[in-house]
Amino acid sequence: MMQIFKSIPENMEANLYLPSMGTITQTHNLTKKEKWFEIQMPETHSFSYNPGQFVEVSLFGVGEAPISITSAMKNPGLFEMTIRDVGVLTEKIHALNSGDLIGIRGPFGNGFDLKKFKGKDVLIVAGGIGLVPIRSLIHTILNDRKSYGRLIILYGTKSSQDLLYKSELDQWETHPGIEFQMTVDQPSPDWHGIVGVITTLIPSVTLDLENTVAAIVGPPVMYKFVLLSLLTKGLSDENIYLSLERRMKCGVGKCGHCQINHSLVCQDGPVYHYPELKKLQEALK
Amino acid sequence: MKQIFPLTFMTHNDIPHWISHLQKIENVIAPHKNGINSFSFGKVSDPKCVILNYDRTLSSIKKYFLPPKETLFSFSTDGKETTSSKVEPINAIFLGVHNYDLEAVFRLDHNFLSGHAESQYLTRRQGALFIGVSYTPDEWHFSNSVLKDGEPNHSGGFDLFLHEIEDGYLLETLTESGQNLMKGFPLPEFDGDIPKQQSFNAHIDGGFEKVTDVFSRAWDSPVWESYAEKCVGCGTCNLVCPTCFCFNVEDEVDLDLKTGNRIRTQDGCMLRSFSEVAGGEIFRNQKAARMRHRLYRKFKYISQETGESWCVGCGRCSAYCTAGISIVDIVNDLIHDSNREIGA
Amino acid sequence: MKPKVAVFDFTGCEGCELNKLNFEDELLALLEHIDIVEWREAMDDKSDHYTIAIVEGSISTPDCVERIHDIRNRSEILIALGACAVQGGMNAMKNQYPLEQVREEVYGCHKDLFPTLPALPLSRYVRVDYEVRGCPMTKNEFLKILTSILMGKKPIKPTHAVCVECKLNENECVYDKGMVCLGPITRGGCDSLCTNFGQYCTGCRGLVDEPDVEAMLAILNRHGLSIVEAKKRLELFNYENQAL
Ligand code: SF4
Ligand code: SF4
Ligand code: FES
Repeated sequence: MMQIFKSIPENMEANLYLPSMGTITQTHNLTKKEKWFEIQMPETHSFSYNPGQFVEVSLFGVGEAPISITSAMKNPGLFEMTIRDVGVLTEKIHALNSGDLIGIRGPFGNGFDLKKFKGKDVLIVAGGIGLVPIRSLIHTILNDRKSYGRLIILYGTKSSQDLLYKSELDQWETHPGIEFQMTVDQPSPDWHGIVGVITTLIPSVTLDLENTVAAIVGPPVMYKFVLLSLLTKGLSDENIYLSLERRMKCGVGKCGHCQINHSLVCQDGPVYHYPELKKLQEALK
Repeated sequence: MKQIFPLTFMTHNDIPHWISHLQKIENVIAPHKNGINSFSFGKVSDPKCVILNYDRTLSSIKKYFLPPKETLFSFSTDGKETTSSKVEPINAIFLGVHNYDLEAVFRLDHNFLSGHAESQYLTRRQGALFIGVSYTPDEWHFSNSVLKDGEPNHSGGFDLFLHEIEDGYLLETLTESGQNLMKGFPLPEFDGDIPKQQSFNAHIDGGFEKVTDVFSRAWDSPVWESYAEKCVGCGTCNLVCPTCFCFNVEDEVDLDLKTGNRIRTQDGCMLRSFSEVAGGEIFRNQKAARMRHRLYRKFKYISQETGESWCVGCGRCSAYCTAGISIVDIVNDLIHDSNREIGA
Repeated sequence: MKPKVAVFDFTGCEGCELNKLNFEDELLALLEHIDIVEWREAMDDKSDHYTIAIVEGSISTPDCVERIHDIRNRSEILIALGACAVQGGMNAMKNQYPLEQVREEVYGCHKDLFPTLPALPLSRYVRVDYEVRGCPMTKNEFLKILTSILMGKKPIKPTHAVCVECKLNENECVYDKGMVCLGPITRGGCDSLCTNFGQYCTGCRGLVDEPDVEAMLAILNRHGLSIVEAKKRLELFNYENQAL
């Protein structure tokens, strides 16, 4: 067995598991359950990221959880995250406001490989809270709009109350550089848009099949159906990327919790090229 | 490999004196009796209590580099203060280590020092010296089925190695560090050969090559379910395995509610809660799926990248399985099952 | 305002009673954060409402049933303390005999003065928020649950078997010493206290979630117990567990 011990890594962190303290600079309630935060990391902390990456967020004494970054990289050390209140930790994070400190480790994971998207038409399919991570990709594309072809965004939620980033959605609808469509599953009386699950939006979209790359993020149940309709449309496996939600713990490839088959989601993911993902029997079960 | 240092000879009576000599250089950690039929590595206080002819220790020496429970850092609950726990290096001579346990340490090195390297592990690991000892395989050992050099007398990677012979031990010096340990303890040279390998009682039919082949199509095998039925899901097999390293992280708060520690504890993929994902769903709820994951981790997932088996054949998971399940039996059944399928 | 905590006890050996287990120092630290409002033996100060009710013992008389409902109605959080409160404990062993026979044996000719019901865990009558298991209850678990609640978070419930802790403590396996042990199927959290002292696990902390009873019976059987004996072993602290 090779003795890798002989070559001690140079840029080893003093303590992989010790969070840095970020300061909350802005917050905004998006829905009853989702709250948006802007975080400034300390200057000394060289914090830069790719769209699709995540951070580990800590409250001391309560715990730590993986949270997707929802912004595009602009100023070093500044990022945004949107957190759904699902348990004690997230409830306590929701109680925080501007000026409060929060523990952050990361960014972790691979994120979207922009090389694969540049010069191509980009089709984004987001279901529910899946819009949170993929918004980082959308913003990245908008910040460098001319490097990409068409930007098609399909977004579906359960009800209109669940729609995230509402003022932004309005802008996307009229944005000349975006082809945007959304649908809700269970419409309330004031909803005048499209009704149905996310796949209802797919048939009517015309795609340049050779030149389109799709990015899909949503709840696991959605993947099967979205994949099926995209493949039926003729998009090839090669042109599809997905981001997986798994319970990450350490974020640094050590604890084993995020593993599906041979792949550590915190290292090889959360973004997967579909041909790779297909090899992981546990991924889309 | 060419012998660079001469072989020397030590009688059984020399051993305690030699250990005392080593203790003057550094702490010595070696196997001791633990209970009635069990052995355990521990710091030597009385050299006469060290046992060199043992079958296996319950825990491997990984417990020194990856403690079962450790504080990663302390905090104040308001988040204003966080302090990394000071990690002390284990400066020690590990005496009486079996070949497979050192191989297991090399695998942990891979997990903890590649990618994001972990300072806690490195700090503990870097001051360790290893003195191996040969052993007589019992009904559970099967190292030569999975390791390239899995023989009980294979001394590669050690600083010094003891070969048990009649009346005493042959001491093989392998590194300069090893040679330095012997300074001031002169021994007679031994004119002869290193004794022959001991043969194993347990075998994987076809060895690791066959294992690699079978694990590429064993996913849907009915064998998983047939063993999972007997398994009670206690997790013992994970905890005793020298190459299992998964852990869980949890915050513990002191009684003043103002301070606390973030703690990691060893975890295991056979435990039901291990694969709990956000929202409470148990991702691998079936014992068969968990057993499959454990064995795929030993025989395929990391192995397909490194070419090495992540099971070192120590036999602990079989010897200590409360339900009497043997890993060799599982693998052999997978092999036979797949042979049947392809009509071989 | 400090949370009001009250302690009550029902049918049990009283071995769990907080004031009898010596951890005064820890309790003193905790008293900084709580007010104890009712403690049958220690205090007389009654309160209508409790933030946390800590309840020991199993429910085995009509009077108990009434009281436990009353306690539940008056408390925000209810913690069951010890094997009797959580699983019915050893008391529940009497449930296998006809009630009349039990009364006769225990109270003789005075049996009519002592109406009795099967001994059941609190959770058969009221909602239980958290459990401190063990006979006697596990002190560390108690402190962990209380600090978690005071921190406003959900205490983590141990779901692994005693075997896990026993291995981490590097104890020689009880089976290798020729005894039989319920560690493989018993819920951990006690830091394998008994096996640390060379004893076998009697299963006082109840079974793990989704226990595989068949596999456990096979293990006990392989180590010399008949299936009937093996079942009896498991029943000692789990008579009321539906999985058996
Ligand atoms: S899988 Fe079993 S035999 Fe292999 S190294 Fe682990 S404990 Fe030893
Ligand atoms: S030691 Fe045996 S019974 Fe326990 S989890 Fe492992 S395979 Fe199952
Ligand atoms: S989150 Fe720990 S290994 Fe991926």
